[in-house]
Amino acid sequence: MALDYRKAAQGVLDNIGGASNVASAAHCATRLRLVIRDNAKVNKEGVENVDGVKGCFEASGQLQVIFGTGTVNKVFDEFIAISGVEAGTKETAREAAAQKQNWFMRGIKTLGDVFVPIIPAIVASGLLNGLLGGLSQAFPDMAGSDYYAMINLMAGAALTMLPILIAISAAKKFGGNPYLAAVIGFVMIHPNLVNAWSVASMQAAGESIPVWHVFGLTIQQTGYQGHVIPVIIAILFMSFLEKWLHKHVPEMIDLFVTPLVTVLVTGVLTMTIIGPIFKVVEDWILLAATTLIQLPFGIGGLLVGFFYAFTVVAGFHHMYNMIEAQMVSENPPANIWMPVATAANVGQGAAAMAVAFKSKNPKTKELALPSSLSAFLGITEPAIFGVNIRYRTPFIAGCCGGAIGGMLASWFGIKATAYGITGLFGFLITTDFWLQYAIVMLVSFAVAFAVSFVTFKDPDKVMEEKGAAAAGIPEAKAEEIHAEEEKKAETGGVQTVYAPIEGTAIPSSDVDDPTFAAELLGKGMAIQPSVGRVVAPFDGTVEMMFDTKHAVAVASDSGVEVLIHVGIDTVKLNGKGYTPHVSSGDIVKKGDLLLEFDIDTIQNEGYKVTTPVIISNTEDYKEVRAIKTSGPVKPGDPVIEVEP
Amino acid sequence: MKTFKYMITDPVGIHARPAGNLVAEVKKYASKITITNAAGKSAPAGKLIQLMGLGVKQGEEITVTVEGEDEDTAATAIENYLKANL
Repeated sequence: MALDYRKAAQGVLDNIGGASNVASAAHCATRLRLVIRDNAKVNKEGVENVDGVKGCFEASGQLQVIFGTGTVNKVFDEFIAISGVEAGTKETAREAAAQKQNWFMRGIKTLGDVFVPIIPAIVASGLLNGLLGGLSQAFPDMAGSDYYAMINLMAGAALTMLPILIAISAAKKFGGNPYLAAVIGFVMIHPNLVNAWSVASMQAAGESIPVWHVFGLTIQQTGYQGHVIPVIIAILFMSFLEKWLHKHVPEMIDLFVTPLVTVLVTGVLTMTIIGPIFKVVEDWILLAATTLIQLPFGIGGLLVGFFYAFTVVAGFHHMYNMIEAQMVSENPPANIWMPVATAANVGQGAAAMAVAFKSKNPKTKELALPSSLSAFLGITEPAIFGVNIRYRTPFIAGCCGGAIGGMLASWFGIKATAYGITGLFGFLITTDFWLQYAIVMLVSFAVAFAVSFVTFKDPDKVMEEKGAAAAGIPEAKAEEIHAEEEKKAETGGVQTVYAPIEGTAIPSSDVDDPTFAAELLGKGMAIQPSVGRVVAPFDGTVEMMFDTKHAVAVASDSGVEVLIHVGIDTVKLNGKGYTPHVSSGDIVKKGDLLLEFDIDTIQNEGYKVTTPVIISNTEDYKEVRAIKTSGPVKPGDPVIEVEP
Repeated sequence: MKTFKYMITDPVGIHARPAGNLVAEVKKYASKITITNAAGKSAPAGKLIQLMGLGVKQGEEITVTVEGEDEDTAATAIENYLKANL
């Protein structure tokens, strides 16, 4: 059974001398951070024994209670509710930072946050689809085989059931229960409803769609296959409702009343109001698109080519199959949509490829290159959501490439004979226009690549410059960066540790000390410093500034603990040559100065300044990878990746 | 609960290597093992950073507290380990 957040919050409160003893409260991704008026009233052991508390410690004026990701925010809400203490500045600053972004960017970001986690599912089925399409064009016999049928089933599964995947992901984003959200998703594409993709053919065949008569409304019994907006809105509503119910339904009956009411109310509203309304909204957008592409002189192609990627972001592109199907059913088949879509897809792929070439961050490269290749095969989501939108300018660059290519496609009047295939495999369905099709792709590629390459700025480089002039970062911006990194921690992503010192990277095994060389204290790497400055390797808390000042441990908000041990055996120097700039418990941002040390003084005393940088709680993680173990490093370069 | 005192003889005190080895030793036992330094600050002996943070020096007397199912075995083993290594 889930943790009783209210009880946990009450338990903490009881053990710290009540609300009157709390000066302020805030929380990060894992911990409740309380400023206590009178520490004598705090019963630390009592706090640790509260159900759900994973640990409790004091650090310069803050009592930090560890609850863990996903739990701490709920306990915090209860804590604030019970104690009446005003939420701390950290939270308000973050909210202020979020409000500074305009509604459009927030909307795009929310959509991205919903779609990013389901990309693996889409890629798997999308690539299966593309490959099947290509192969069966090349070998027409294949389409009739049982192998084709079996794999085709797999290829279609994720897209057919897309509303369920979206529901689960949206629930995680909006804070609802993902299982209840899945139920809403199931309801929306229930097999007893008429498949949305069959509606047109049923109507064409003169069959009538069954209806319900409820609340004075006549509701068609159709599913929501291929629809995106209705399910997102439904889950948004569900999440609000569920959270409201959790707060207002008495604890004793919450367990069964809340799920029941949540599903019933959301389900009914979805079928009667949310679904039909937002289905129409989606349909209007679709109608607008159809009209657009048919504008004369290639203007339509230009516009659609530019905005195509936006519609992918918004999820409308799942509907394009319908337009294309209609076009293909003409005699002779004239799918004029697909070449424009190809231009847009190739544009996004090329823009991501430019990022792959220009970025210096190995992680970005690793993501951008395969994403761009998959875009050339027609699967653009990884390139758009994983790369281009994150850096914004490549996205626009891709749209420019799509616009020029789309205009050409429209001018040439390229007609495809099938649908569902774009990109390189598109040659197989544009055999009468292969030269024009190749020109469209080349032009889109060249334009998008060039614009993206020129406009893209490596954010890591930008961060580094900011780190050097740490004081120059406006507080709200810094909070925003921090909030983003916390988001990464919350989604269970890989935590990157950035180099804390300028110098030369070496593998742990080259450290002239058997303990560090054998990584007995944890895995990591080491730096041969050339500058005597240690900066924070990520946003977090100074876990420990050692009395002897020769080592500092920093914990990230997700719990990764990094020990930076400046020099070998330098504990014996007892602080000589070291100047600390922070103390235990201080909250630091990536790049903040932690410690200065005098390389000459230390070396004159006969010690090496080699600095192991290790993850001291390596055993808590699935994998700790040193990603930089040779060559020069500068603060801000990623050196270690920690995978939960 | 078992408690004993021990005087550190290792020249660097409870630091990098000795600390790492001690953590590894402590993790073999189910008992909760806590080390308190001369100034009265304590830390769980299984947590490297906090243990090192006690800054225990040569000649300092520490108090080791062992609590749990295997406290007898653990206390004896840790005491022997300290004598042999620290």
